Amino acid sequence: MKGSTLAMNKNKFVYAVFVAFAFVATFSACKDKRSTGLEYARNMYDPIALNPDQPVDTTNKYLSSFKGQAAQTPPANTKPVGFKEYDEFPNNQEGYVAAGATMVNPLPVDTTNLAEGKHLYTVFCSPCHGDKGNGQGHLVQIEKFSGVPSYHEGSSSRGGNMKDLTAGKIYHTITYGLNNMGSHASQITPTDRWKVVMYVQELQKGQ
Amino acid sequence: MRDISMILKSVRNSLFLFTAISVLAVSTVSAQDAKEGRTLFKAKCSSCHALDAKLIGPALTGVSDRHPEAFLLKWIPNSQGLVASGDPAAVKLYNENGKIAMTSFPELDEGKVKSILAYIKEGEPKPVAAAGGAAPVQDDTVSGLSIAGIIGIILVAIVILVILARAGKLLERLILQKQGIETEDDMPLSVGVRKMFRNKKFVLFFVLCIAIALGSWGWMGMWNTGVHTGYQPVQPIKFSHELHAGINQIDCQYCHNGAFKSKNATIPSLNVCMNCHKAVQARDKYDGQISPEIQKIYNALGYDPETQKYDPNQQKPMEWVRVHNLPDFAYFNHSQHVVVAADAIRKAKGLQPNEPVCYACHGPVNTMEEIYQYSPLTMKWCINCHKETDISGQKDNAFYTKVIEAHEKIKKGEKITPALLGGLECGKCHY
Repeated sequence: MKGSTLAMNKNKFVYAVFVAFAFVATFSACKDKRSTGLEYARNMYDPIALNPDQPVDTTNKYLSSFKGQAAQTPPANTKPVGFKEYDEFPNNQEGYVAAGATMVNPLPVDTTNLAEGKHLYTVFCSPCHGDKGNGQGHLVQIEKFSGVPSYHEGSSSRGGNMKDLTAGKIYHTITYGLNNMGSHASQITPTDRWKVVMYVQELQKGQ
Repeated sequence: MRDISMILKSVRNSLFLFTAISVLAVSTVSAQDAKEGRTLFKAKCSSCHALDAKLIGPALTGVSDRHPEAFLLKWIPNSQGLVASGDPAAVKLYNENGKIAMTSFPELDEGKVKSILAYIKEGEPKPVAAAGGAAPVQDDTVSGLSIAGIIGIILVAIVILVILARAGKLLERLILQKQGIETEDDMPLSVGVRKMFRNKKFVLFFVLCIAIALGSWGWMGMWNTGVHTGYQPVQPIKFSHELHAGINQIDCQYCHNGAFKSKNATIPSLNVCMNCHKAVQARDKYDGQISPEIQKIYNALGYDPETQKYDPNQQKPMEWVRVHNLPDFAYFNHSQHVVVAADAIRKAKGLQPNEPVCYACHGPVNTMEEIYQYSPLTMKWCINCHKETDISGQKDNAFYTKVIEAHEKIKKGEKITPALLGGLECGKCHY
């Protein structure tokens, strides 16, 4: 009798351990995905400097000029180190024509620049303009966007043939956008814009 | 008499047939026109015009009622010529729409313009209900709420079963009592529990179970402290990476353009959203209304889609909730990884050529309807990757070229300064 109780207890023991494990494993696995979970010393995670793209403490009187946000417009007449600017033309028809007449691509046409231009073009332009510059990008094909001109056919909405657009005109359009195309100045630096222009001028030739 | 009626009948029948055929023929012709017109409209007009909404140019529904066809046939191919010629209607139209010059379309002949007008008259063909993409999006992930619900239901079921069992026992005993059979009274539960705890072996099991439970809970808790894998906070806009990066195949860098240039991948500011969402409003999915999520962008920018003007006084920042959060004492640079080490990382993580290098750490972003943290971002995780990734054979890599140059100098016994190794860059200390 005694032996059998012990044997039963042993079984019970194994069973209880198993249940306990299963229970704990289940409950620790289903954690709340909306919460970061347990954190220790959170203040070591948060930078003392402003956290990029994050809100700024509005109660801190030294940071009042930030008005609650870390992302700021750069102060007037300043530019980042290594940032090359080119002549600014206003965002209107006259500025466009003037840019087209006077601006020339400062970068030499070589394989490195063309390769970088191609990469930038693929990232920023091809979703609409297509890999070949024919205005048939993926977004046009799935009908999310329409009315995208081809670089080597048709006429420009600001006059002239698409394939004859000069480097300055293309640069002006990337900088300010046109019609449904937005300004890409905040995404592509001026130097990179010239690389894109270089590649677009290759596409204007059409294949 | 009969003959006449027969003749009349046949005449009537043939007339009927003729009319039916001609109506059919006309309608198919106009359908074809509208179809051709739709293609032309999408290619030529839709960068500035929509049917029901004002874009750069006015909404075009009902344009044939507003202007005579003869005028439209002249206006559409060469509007600026018409304005320059001093046509009063053309000048009026030009002035009414903010003097924005409309592109000339010399390639559109009369037939093509008529097709476009036919399309505008008929409007967008209604999608077949079943085939439309407007099917409700089903949330197939099991949420925490539903798990809690299931557990709740199980608990309630257990309680009900226990009550039912006890009631059954009570009834049984009552019947037995009626029959004159005495039953020994059941022990009350509390006495039973007390009796159980007098059993030393049971106490040992009980303590062991609690120790294991607490121990494993503590162990897991400590290992996961500060590890945010799977963290998926609710964002202020229901932005779907599945739609943008997956279905629309927009490159990560289009919005996160800092990743290739700097330490931060950067969260795009709303002007980047507006590059597309000035025109893309998903009206087809919301009964002709602007999608409420896209409207949130407009609200934050103080943008009025009717006038296409921004009101700076109503602008307020969009407060996205940060998902990936490295501690401040750990330095991580995106561009170092996705530009300098892209090839090595691709090889180490076995990425497909069409997958961006970002997926190595951020996981299959193109399938995430809501973004979540895919990798643990622990030190062990970083170290393991740095131990295993093979970076030999890197060509045109300015970083390693610099290091090799420095080594050559050391070998020759020349002077090396921190400045030579980039020690004067501000960001080395002030990041």
